[in-house]
Amino acid sequence: MNFFDVLKGEIRLVFTDIAIVLTIIGGVLLYSFLYPQPYVKQSVSELSVSIVDLDKSDVSRSLSFSIDSTPQISVNRHDLSKKDALEAIVSQEVKGVIIIPAHFKRDLMLGKSPTIVVGVDNSYFLIFGAVLEGAMKSIMTQSAGIKVVSLLKKSIPIQSAKKIYSPYTLNEINLFNKDNSYTQYVIPAVFILILQQTMLIGLGILGGSINERVSIGVRGYYNDAKVWQMILSRVIIFGGIFFIHMMFYFGFSFSFFSVTHIANITNLVVFGIVFLSAVLALGVFLGALFNTREIATPAVLFSSLPLVFSVGFIWPLEAIPEFVKVLSWLSPSTPAIDGFLKLNQMGAKLSLVIDNFELLLAQIVVYSVLAYIVIHHRVHKQS
Amino acid sequence: MFKAFNDAFLYELNEIRNSFYKLSLITIFPILSFIFIIAIFDKGVASNLPICVVDNDHSKLSRNLLFNINSNETLNIKKVAQDEKEAIKYIKSSEVYAIVVIPSHFQKDILNHKETKVTALLNTQYILIGKIIKAALFSVISSSSAQIEFVKSLQSTQNIDISMAMIVPIKMQVNSFFNTYKNYFLFLVSALLPSIWQIFIVITTIVSFGTLFKAKKDKDFFDSKYIEAKIIGKLLPYTFAFMILGILYILYIYGVRGWIFEGSLAILFFAMFLSVIAYQAIALGLFVTGFDYARTLSLGAVYTAPAFAFLGVTFPVYSMNLFATFWRDMLPVSYLVEIQISQANYGAPVYYELDRLFYIFLFWLVFIPVFIRFRMRYSK
Repeated sequence: MNFFDVLKGEIRLVFTDIAIVLTIIGGVLLYSFLYPQPYVKQSVSELSVSIVDLDKSDVSRSLSFSIDSTPQISVNRHDLSKKDALEAIVSQEVKGVIIIPAHFKRDLMLGKSPTIVVGVDNSYFLIFGAVLEGAMKSIMTQSAGIKVVSLLKKSIPIQSAKKIYSPYTLNEINLFNKDNSYTQYVIPAVFILILQQTMLIGLGILGGSINERVSIGVRGYYNDAKVWQMILSRVIIFGGIFFIHMMFYFGFSFSFFSVTHIANITNLVVFGIVFLSAVLALGVFLGALFNTREIATPAVLFSSLPLVFSVGFIWPLEAIPEFVKVLSWLSPSTPAIDGFLKLNQMGAKLSLVIDNFELLLAQIVVYSVLAYIVIHHRVHKQS
Repeated sequence: MFKAFNDAFLYELNEIRNSFYKLSLITIFPILSFIFIIAIFDKGVASNLPICVVDNDHSKLSRNLLFNINSNETLNIKKVAQDEKEAIKYIKSSEVYAIVVIPSHFQKDILNHKETKVTALLNTQYILIGKIIKAALFSVISSSSAQIEFVKSLQSTQNIDISMAMIVPIKMQVNSFFNTYKNYFLFLVSALLPSIWQIFIVITTIVSFGTLFKAKKDKDFFDSKYIEAKIIGKLLPYTFAFMILGILYILYIYGVRGWIFEGSLAILFFAMFLSVIAYQAIALGLFVTGFDYARTLSLGAVYTAPAFAFLGVTFPVYSMNLFATFWRDMLPVSYLVEIQISQANYGAPVYYELDRLFYIFLFWLVFIPVFIRFRMRYSK
């Protein structure tokens, strides 16, 4: 059978199968819209807190005021007791409580250090960070102001008083994702996984369908096709479609959701093609294993969440157990997400992602050989 | 009617017994997924995160600071670079997550009361890791700086209390209600497990009905006056199975791992029960759009896969846009996780949960179009 007949047969099988088309075209487009939605507003907006001012002095009022004026916090309530404030948290009216102790002003004047209690609803971890950051800032400023005042009392000139209030401080610079944007954090990684999972499902449904037909004796091009012809056809069909998808994601979607894309285009395409090839090899192999067309979607779906979290961009690799890491290397997404983040988000050179390249190449070789063996065995032995 | 129900129930039990795939969908597959997620976050706290330092001072004070940084349990000085350029390479290859630069004249400036700054370059592409490192560095540097200040101040005041008050005029105590400060196990695992659980409910329901249709046994199966009873009987074995799985993960998190559960388990399990049936209704709702097995699986995947991102556990709901909150409202698991958090952490009284329970129950209404579609197809 000549190659073009095989290619035609595969094209017909792919594009007349609604489940495949729904996944590899509809799914890819829909996900590119759906996944970024939670983060479109990008940063955490103002957080409502309640202040319990047990001191009611001018100093405590000015502290409340300065807390309210920080960009992260808005003071929505003033409660008379800690109990009332806690109730407001349970009913989700506020996310945090700041308690200024009684005798706050007096203790300050006497040179005793009063303690301000900051309580936050830690059920949602970003919220915790935002309240803490906001509260810290205003308390530190207030605290620094008091230091300067008390030094001035000792008739130290204001210039040096300002300078010695702390021997040294921490100056933080955010590299790469400078504004702590969540779109920037999640999208570049999740999009790679979407490309992989949808392609695997598509190839899995196709492979499963062919195996099903072979087993019930429906004849078709696959009975007479050579294994390499079938593999090459899938490389052309799926490789072509997903190359366009990848360019759409990196080009259009990234700009649309204002995600950084600083990689050199050649590097990105080279790395991208290696990634897509590894997914193709794995997909053809899995498809050959599946007995029915319906196995692919559940199998791939169940692996998604574990795969995202074992890459190491959310939870550090240092804290992930060895067996999880080793298993995650079976999936092209693991080296690919890591590599794409380095290239496109952090501006690394290709030489810094050599390990990722090697792992992907190893996957291509291993999965291609396995795919060849299984298809040869299944389709040809039975026909 | 009871006979129809009972027949369907027994029929499905038999199916599960004879199909390794269906049995696995309610046993080893979900349990393995749970174990995987639990294993990833098993440690709960991140420790010994690799960082790189550039010491431009090489003085006693700078070495002292580096020692303090390395003693912090969160941080681990893995690389010492000669300059920032070399250090940036380590951060770009993810060998380290942050760079700490100590300026030249660090010691001289401190002794001369000149302001000086230690610079930290953080890889905030990894937001969570960046936050953890930033907090650790902030605490090491403030306490190291305060030590020096304290010694200097003590020389002039000769009084420990006065010196302390001068350094820290206002103390701040951070209380995190409802969760231990640095542990991420509870945050993430307690939301991830329900997210995985709902995927399994929808997929299993579709598999149960899909295989029946694919084997062309649907006409025989629904050959009855009581189609609704047949449907419910067929669903019920899975309702039990997923209740058991749900109870298992809750008992694991709050029993075996020992996280505090303030409120009522009964409310949570009731919410779970409502949710299982809600998801079964939704799965069938997707199925009756075309009674096509493979296609419904694709729809089920689109519906359940992104749920975790919409829960609001990693990114607060009040910062989401309108569409995202709408999509979130369309997922029973968002209400379920809200109830789980408010029962576990706040021990909220039951009337706080009534509206959430009601919203989950509303998804049961999907059964109405489902029953209508089935009746149109089989009762002739």
